[in-house]
Amino acid sequence: MTLTYIESVFDIVRVVVGISQVSRLPVRGNDYGASPSGAAPAVRGALPALPTPPVLPALPVLPALGELLPGGLPRGTVAAAGGWGLLCLALAAGASAAGAWCAVAGVPQLGVTAAAGVGLDPGRVLLVPDPGAGWPQVVISLLDGCELVLLRPPDRPSAGVRRRLEASLRRRGGVLVVAGDWEGAQARLLVTRQEWAGIGAGHGRLRARRVQVVADGRGAAARSRARWLWLPGPDGSVGLADLASTADPASTADPARAADLAGTAGQVLRETG
Amino acid sequence: MTAAGPVRVLVLWCPDWPQTGQAAEARAFEQVLSVVEEFCPRVEVLRPGACAVGARGPARYFGGEEVLARKIVEAVTGRGFACQVGLAEGLFAAQLAARAGAPGVVTVVARGQTREFLAAHPVSVLDSEEMADLLPRLGIRTLGEFAALPVAEAVNRFGVPGALAHRLARGLDPRPLAARPARADLSVATEFDPPEQLAEPVVFAAKALAMRMHAGLAASGLACVRVQVEVTCEDGRQVSRLWRHDGLLSALAVAERVRWQLAGWQAGQDAAGQDAAGQDAAGQGAAGRDEDPADRLPAGGITVLRLVPDQLVRDGGRQLGLWGDAVVSDRVARAALRVQAMLGHGAVTRPVLAGGRGPAEQVTLIPFGDAQDPEFPADRPWPGRIPAPGPATVCRDPLPARVADAGGVAVTVTGRAQVSAPPARVSVNGGPWLEVTSWAGPWPVAERWWQPRLARRRARFQLVTADGAAWLAAVQDGRWLIEARYD
Repeated sequence: MTLTYIESVFDIVRVVVGISQVSRLPVRGNDYGASPSGAAPAVRGALPALPTPPVLPALPVLPALGELLPGGLPRGTVAAAGGWGLLCLALAAGASAAGAWCAVAGVPQLGVTAAAGVGLDPGRVLLVPDPGAGWPQVVISLLDGCELVLLRPPDRPSAGVRRRLEASLRRRGGVLVVAGDWEGAQARLLVTRQEWAGIGAGHGRLRARRVQVVADGRGAAARSRARWLWLPGPDGSVGLADLASTADPASTADPARAADLAGTAGQVLRETG
Repeated sequence: MTAAGPVRVLVLWCPDWPQTGQAAEARAFEQVLSVVEEFCPRVEVLRPGACAVGARGPARYFGGEEVLARKIVEAVTGRGFACQVGLAEGLFAAQLAARAGAPGVVTVVARGQTREFLAAHPVSVLDSEEMADLLPRLGIRTLGEFAALPVAEAVNRFGVPGALAHRLARGLDPRPLAARPARADLSVATEFDPPEQLAEPVVFAAKALAMRMHAGLAASGLACVRVQVEVTCEDGRQVSRLWRHDGLLSALAVAERVRWQLAGWQAGQDAAGQDAAGQDAAGQGAAGRDEDPADRLPAGGITVLRLVPDQLVRDGGRQLGLWGDAVVSDRVARAALRVQAMLGHGAVTRPVLAGGRGPAEQVTLIPFGDAQDPEFPADRPWPGRIPAPGPATVCRDPLPARVADAGGVAVTVTGRAQVSAPPARVSVNGGPWLEVTSWAGPWPVAERWWQPRLARRRARFQLVTADGAAWLAAVQDGRWLIEARYD
């Protein structure tokens, strides 16, 4: 964990060094005499003085998602949630409950009662149901005002569009939750299994859904984790679903297998994603 | 207040004007305003359905206040609008006088009699819930009794709202007008080059313009009672209209007034070209155009939009609630405005929970910047509503579906909510057949049977299919629909 973190820091440093060299070249103008080895010490000397980005705390997530996303949603990052569903809303709910404004773009069929149920405050939500062909610009504008933007891209974004959005995310310290896949997302969550409770053959009603959510990602979130959640629970909120209290043994992994799930999660993700 | 006292004000009130905050009402009211404007060019719109004019000048011209009021009532009634007119000293008394009469009736409170006229009214007319609630409990039931209190006592006991109410009760203007003229010109204007043909960009510019005006006023510590919106067209015509502001309108609200004015003017232009007898049809046509994105403006487009703050007063400040107010920060408003400028006013909405049984009815989407309450409030009992948890996907228009039993025969529901056979397979929107693993229902609802146009009978089901998905389905008129999906 610590090691991967340090590695990722090195990655950033390496990238920054590359950028600073690139941006330095034109400034040096005709000074061809300066050898690359001569430039290196200057860059290394500049390293400690690198402007540290303003440290804003990561956006909080719901307690039930805390184990899947330790530390919350870091600002300036993308979290992909596989597809449109309650999981996307649950990802946004923690930040909304903490007072952040959320925007939902590209989801005309958003169920606001479900959103309110998982903890998203409708009073601090902007909806842009149809962002149209210029949706990247719409998302960038929304990021100016909202800490978290929940987006279902109307089309598959090109690498250029993705880079533009990610750059604007980092600049503004926002978080983009994508209902769909996003290459290079820092965190990826996926509902791999689900079962409804409370409904039978002609009786009862939908009361709660137990889902298995698998999370993996990059950097600090690189290790895959799987958890069973109530999504939604009987009162519409999100909670941890205890493995011991499972009703249907056939569809539930025993504890030993659950521990193994972390290892197979990546495979699951590849299969379904 | 000086000895001169408040000026004589004439208020025209249309008693049964709808008040739902729709732009169509403001547009229809434009027809009334154009009539009143023939008598006095400076008409102040209090809200759609009520307007005020200073009575002194026109009364002298038309030969008396009573004569003027009668002429206005006759002219407006002649256009087919029921209205009543009140004339008194100060806007507050004139409004009460207008309401005191009946349609077609003129109520003139004689000069110097305003305080006596007000004295008989109950304190509930003060339009302040706090005062209307507090005063009767202190044994003060009428404005006369309240006005009899010494000013200092009223201010000490009730603070600023009390001082305002006390001035109103004594027949004075609620606050003294600023004695000095504005040192600087606080009006703001923007030019459109080339002339703007569409209403939407003008309204958008008005938002920014109103922000500038408010910033200018705030810098001088002033607020304006009214704002004058002046629109100049390419052919040199100018349309200006006064809107009540009272320092309370946000920039968005001012822009909304500009939208009303443009839309109303457009309706007026169209109506002028049509037969006067077809007024109703014109009104409906205007309402229909509301949705038209290409809202073209007449007269070759707009070249200048100017906002002039009118009647400057000291800004007493406005306190926002400490708790409970969902305050839209400037940052969020700016972001929303930018997206609205790209996609149109209605493209950015805020959801408000509303009352209803189906998931689609439980939410009202309100364009950002509009203030509007849902038609059906959420805090009422809705027997038969879909129980929580709510579905994450609510179809804007229900999807057609087919549901069959184990034998492949379509499942039907009788009028007494009996299912012909347990549903075994479902096909959504022409998609592949999915096996139904569990289901619940039917839950019949018969809604608004008293309104034939909106009446609806549905039997709802919840279906869980083999792929783990759950659906909210309904049978209406023998057809299966998918209303929502739990995912």
